[in-house]
Amino acid sequence: MKCTHVKKMISRYVDDALSPDEKKDVDSHVRGCASCREGLEEIRALHQMFASAERFPAPYGFATRVLANLEEKEGSRLRSLLAIRPLFIRAAQVTFALVVITMGIVSGNLLLAERTETIEQAAVVQEAFSLDLFQATPPDSIGGIYSTLMRPNHES
Amino acid sequence: MTSTDDNDLIGLFRKGALFAFEALVRKYQDRIYNLCRYMLQNPEDAQDAAQDAAQDVFLKAYRALKDFRPESSFYTWLYRIALNTCLDYRRKSRREALRNEPLPEDLPSDEPFPEQLYESEEISESVQLALQKLPEKLRAAIVLREIEALSYEEIAEVLYISMGTVKSRISRAREQLRRLLKKNMG
Repeated sequence: MKCTHVKKMISRYVDDALSPDEKKDVDSHVRGCASCREGLEEIRALHQMFASAERFPAPYGFATRVLANLEEKEGSRLRSLLAIRPLFIRAAQVTFALVVITMGIVSGNLLLAERTETIEQAAVVQEAFSLDLFQATPPDSIGGIYSTLMRPNHES
Repeated sequence: MTSTDDNDLIGLFRKGALFAFEALVRKYQDRIYNLCRYMLQNPEDAQDAAQDAAQDVFLKAYRALKDFRPESSFYTWLYRIALNTCLDYRRKSRREALRNEPLPEDLPSDEPFPEQLYESEEISESVQLALQKLPEKLRAAIVLREIEALSYEEIAEVLYISMGTVKSRISRAREQLRRLLKKNMG
């Protein structure tokens, strides 16, 4: 076998892509040919160099950035894609919204009822205080006379 | 790289499930990013360029996925998009380099090489520098074979070339790299 022919086969030899017969031919040739043997060793060394060369994984957050990029550049299409949801999810969303609204109305009414009661109680307490402890308008002052006159069933 | 799984995800995506596309991105992001790192320019600035390029790859894939036909595998199709994107990036950066400074390809040849290579980082750097001196077609073939570990059949599918052409390109790429590295290390 000629050297030019062997040199063409060295690459496939390293990749283990030769037939058993071809491999045998190359083996027997390189035993007797220093130049082809050197060529084979160097291509093998190159192959090993590649095998031990660093592999670079995608940087942290790469996929997230791809999707953010998509959203930015393909926004409208993406939104229309997101809008397509199964019917049961839609139904669940509507039901949830209705429940929230109903709860809002009911609790609002309850709170209002309770509050009215306390306002009335507060008014009674306030009246009691103002009449018993303070006399805002003494009877002999102008205000006092006025308020006495204004009382619905005054004696004088 | 089971294509049935990929085709299921593509089917879901076409029905509107965005998570299916996200699953594809997460599945292939490392391989595509790594490919871009080895296909693009100098190791120093390859990091940013590779990230931009890989982002573009998935954006293009997203737009083109509706036209994807399942007779070819998704990942060979994705690799093809990635190689074309890297080619565009190289052309663009070459134009910018021409406008500003001398060609970046002319610079690394004068750089001294470490006599012994221990670390995978150093090995990948010297391999990357040598790769940059190969013609585009040879570089694509050898990166797919040695870095991405694709079979000859898969490479033929990615590059749309015959098996015979794949074998000859890989063989020529190895021969050129062997000479380049020998010159640098000898």
